[in-house]
Amino acid sequence: MVKIVKTKVEFEGRFRDEYVMVEGEEIQAWPGSYKGKLVGSPSPRLEAGAKVNGSAKYTHDVYLPGMLYGKFVRSPYSHAKVKHVDLSKALAQPGVVAGYAANNVPKLTGEKQIELFSDEALYQGAEIALLIATDEITLQDAIELVEVEYEPLRPLVDPEESLRLRGSHAIGGKDNLSGGTPRVYERGSVERGFSDADVVIEQEFRTQAAMHNCMETHGSVATWEGDALTVYTSTQSINNVRAELAEKLGIPLRKVRAISTYMGGGFGSKFGGGKYTLAAALASRALGKPVRIVLDRIEENLVTGNRSQTIQKYRIGAKKDGTLTAIQLTSVVNVGLEGWTADIGGPTKMTYRCPNVKVELYGTRTNLVSSTAFRAPGYVEGNFGLECALDELASKLGLDPISLRLKNYADEDQGDKIAYSSKALKEAYERGADIIGWKPGEEPTRRGTKVRAKGMASLIWWGGGGPPAYAQVKINTDGSATVVTASQDIGTGTRTAVGQIAAEELSLPLELVSVQIGDTVTELYSPGSGGSQTLASIGPAVRSAAHDAKSQLLDIASQTLDVAREAIALDSGWIVRKSGEKLSSVADLLDKFGGATVTGKGARGPNDPKHQVNTFGAQFAEVEVDTETGEVEVLKFVSVHDSGRIINPLLLSSQIEGGVIQGMGYALWEGRLVDATSGVSLNANLNDYLVPRSTDIDEIQSEYIEAEDTSNNIGAKGIGEPPIIGVAPAIANAIKAATGIRLRELPLTPERIYRALKKMEDWTSSARYF
Amino acid sequence: MYPSKFDYVRVQSVEEAVRVLGEHGEEARVLAGGHSLIPLMKLRVLRPKYLIDIGGIQGLKYIRRDKNTLRIGALTTYFELENSLEVSRTHQVIASGASVVGDPQVRNWGTIGGSLSHCDPSGDMGSCVLAARGLMHVRGPSETRTVESDNWFVDTFQSALRQGEILEEIEFQVPPGKLGGAYLKLERKSGDYAIVGVAVSLALDSSGKCSYAGIGLTSVGATNLRAKNAENAILGKIPTKEVISEASEEAFKEVTPSDDPLRGSAEYKKEMVRVYVRRGLEKALEAARSS
Ligand SMILES: Cc1cc2nc3c(=O)[nH]c(=O)nc-3n(C[C@H](O)[C@H](O)[C@H](O)COP(=O)(O)OP(=O)(O)OC[C@H]3O[C@@H](n4cnc5c(N)ncnc54)[C@H](O)[C@@H]3O)c2cc1C
Repeated sequence: MVKIVKTKVEFEGRFRDEYVMVEGEEIQAWPGSYKGKLVGSPSPRLEAGAKVNGSAKYTHDVYLPGMLYGKFVRSPYSHAKVKHVDLSKALAQPGVVAGYAANNVPKLTGEKQIELFSDEALYQGAEIALLIATDEITLQDAIELVEVEYEPLRPLVDPEESLRLRGSHAIGGKDNLSGGTPRVYERGSVERGFSDADVVIEQEFRTQAAMHNCMETHGSVATWEGDALTVYTSTQSINNVRAELAEKLGIPLRKVRAISTYMGGGFGSKFGGGKYTLAAALASRALGKPVRIVLDRIEENLVTGNRSQTIQKYRIGAKKDGTLTAIQLTSVVNVGLEGWTADIGGPTKMTYRCPNVKVELYGTRTNLVSSTAFRAPGYVEGNFGLECALDELASKLGLDPISLRLKNYADEDQGDKIAYSSKALKEAYERGADIIGWKPGEEPTRRGTKVRAKGMASLIWWGGGGPPAYAQVKINTDGSATVVTASQDIGTGTRTAVGQIAAEELSLPLELVSVQIGDTVTELYSPGSGGSQTLASIGPAVRSAAHDAKSQLLDIASQTLDVAREAIALDSGWIVRKSGEKLSSVADLLDKFGGATVTGKGARGPNDPKHQVNTFGAQFAEVEVDTETGEVEVLKFVSVHDSGRIINPLLLSSQIEGGVIQGMGYALWEGRLVDATSGVSLNANLNDYLVPRSTDIDEIQSEYIEAEDTSNNIGAKGIGEPPIIGVAPAIANAIKAATGIRLRELPLTPERIYRALKKMEDWTSSARYF
Repeated sequence: MYPSKFDYVRVQSVEEAVRVLGEHGEEARVLAGGHSLIPLMKLRVLRPKYLIDIGGIQGLKYIRRDKNTLRIGALTTYFELENSLEVSRTHQVIASGASVVGDPQVRNWGTIGGSLSHCDPSGDMGSCVLAARGLMHVRGPSETRTVESDNWFVDTFQSALRQGEILEEIEFQVPPGKLGGAYLKLERKSGDYAIVGVAVSLALDSSGKCSYAGIGLTSVGATNLRAKNAENAILGKIPTKEVISEASEEAFKEVTPSDDPLRGSAEYKKEMVRVYVRRGLEKALEAARSS
């Protein structure tokens, strides 16, 4: 019997209603005391060998017979009219197969015109034309022969300027204030809160645009068989890419297959197909050959989006004892051409108990590429401001930063006033403080020109997951099992984690479980891998499917072996009596039916309306600042997380380490530098854009508090995004503790620190972090 | 990212290299470790029609000592310099500088000859060679010649090499006395080019006075430079704290870096020259005293 249930589903803090189809018997969550054999064990990744020996095929490794290569001609200007495009010289080159510009984009179906190019470039890198050639060198040579006549126009890249010129200089003819109004959130009354306060502080912070720099750049290979399209694509959501292509190309869903077997990283910019996938599909169709379009590193850093630059103004009111009475945040968010205004106010609204909160976000359009989600979008930016401001409040009140945070501990969700499904933040503070050796009021230690001190920050995030997500678990003739789902493993270890869940439920060794993932051909919908929701969404569906398969197997065994259904169980590939006696191997049992297989079906159940699921963490940094040069070293970083049940602690610590390192990049080195006049990016390649290297990183200690959570049947919450959220404020707070200097603008470069230490003016160069 | 099309020849001797280079003129480029040339070709800043790969010339890869002379073949890699006891015994500044160039991959491929020929003001080796007063031995189609380090760094990306010439060897004399050297580099992040780099080479005579001082600077001018006033401030003196501080003040005064939007303001660079010259002198001195 299929049941239909309406439920609320959250994605990165945004809620929507979903109807869910729930099949089979509802299974209870593992209780907190449940110790799994495989669930909870640090199993190495199933695909580790393939990744190390190079046999794992990523999109970048897909070379099909007769394949052609495509590359876009892109605008070198951040704002220009495209007066004329002449492809003739390029097309005359041997090896150049086709060229497309605004006037000749191939049509697939009748009337539908697809907009790949426009006659006004509104950001640097905007697509102007596309060439297709037999090899990449010919292609790059030909790109240089395309003649484009531009009329450069004045770009606006500074969001404050863009807001000021809102009336007179509308970018692309649309209001520079995204959506026409600020995004406002209010609870209680901040006016009342400030008048109740004993102290009120005002603080301003600035954060920079950060680039994703996935190791595998965005790219797709498209190929047609008759009227059916297959795309190999580096994506966080094969189902989104499939739906987007079907919709844009005007073909039925069943005619599109999206494959992402192995995927080289995605932090929020890979949720859709993008123009490169669409163009590959169109060109492939028109030319009758597979077409590959893979972005190079510079394109990757120009056109795939970024974390938004922000300006954040906080006003915080508190009683003498630290009780918060009001928090107000007004923020300008540089969303680029038409990016989304991420919720910079998330941490402000959610982290602490506070009755009066107001957030106003001014999403501001500029002549920069549209911003996209980037690992905990909005929260990383907002948490830097909030957690630094909170430390300032603590120091003003003479309170220890942790005590201030505990004083305002939120026992329930602050917006909807509903209980959390679980929350172990208190324990996380304790564990982290213990490991880093936190002592309230501790003085910095000095050695020559260097000073050391510690800082911390809290974090809150989502990651409860939800429906719809479907899986099947097949028990094969030889007694092994296969998990099938159209989810994807973007490098986080989903394959391994769902394999462990199925193996646990079926009581099979992990070696006998294989996982089919990253291909829409299975038709088992699963959500995109983002919002830290993958495992909490698909994991419970896999467990249900395994449970269903097990029940069917036991039904078969009971009838075949003539034993009571209640008296038997599965154990390591055997049907056993509950007393332990082996009755038949699963393989022998299925062999009796001519090599039959059993297929269990599972769906992610609805979310519990009485609880809100959040993830929590406390992060601690010990830093050393060279007071003569401004150099900072993060000597030790401790990251403690409440992410519910930990399915695999090894995968968990990889996520934590990766998030912390990416957070350190954001805090100390990374940032898009843009020439303020021309709007052109100055550091689009990795020589200039400073992603951390292993040699930049000292000790990182990953820890978790395993809180019991029964909001889904595996008890897991997300971990993908949380570890990046508190890194920058923990480091900035440690620098403050070491030097007495409050740094208000990221990244915390040596020169900025040096100037602050020497009380010198900030350096305003022609290049700025936009 | 792909370079434009080019032809490639691998030569076996310097003579052959010079001959082929002469045949193809300005359209040809010598390829050594490729770690400056290839990135520029991929970015299509450079589009040579011919690459003459000298990487296979065994005779250009050596570290040799003849009495008081240290000879380094142009194809010697950073890795080899960094790990050579022969180099660090008398020319610590070279080994120290080589050890902080880029990352291990770069150090395994990049060569001292390539770095000097490339003549990037943010190259680390140039400052070290200035501090150690290297002599560059160059072979052209009709003659060989020797260029002193002070005359080598003509302009940004322009060494004293003339069209058709190849750098064969860098020669260093060993100054008398107790020797010490160091290269210190302020980076935005590991593996990056310097915000400021300082190469120091010192010798102390038996009375403890400074009998040789070489100070080279990275990323603070159009080329690698010598901080001559700073050298003079310490030469002939017992390098006390005050003397060192005076010398670093001189270095601060004699540089006129320009703003670099990626790596820092002129003002910051200048300040860092002061700090880094002082630290470099202290480190070199400590090495000399304990040698
Ligand atoms: C990621 C990365 C990081 C780097 N970081 C640093 C750094 O921190 N510090 C630093 O100093 N450098 C750095 N470099 C540059 C590196 O040091 C280069 O290896 C070096 O500058 C050039 O040496 P090469 O042997 O690779 O020369 P090539 O790239 O082969 O050649 C460079 C130029 O010199 C010419 N040439 C080479 N050899 C000769 C010769 N014997 N005679 C005449 N002409 C010759 C070539 O024609 C070419 O024009 C980095 C490079 C990379 C890729």
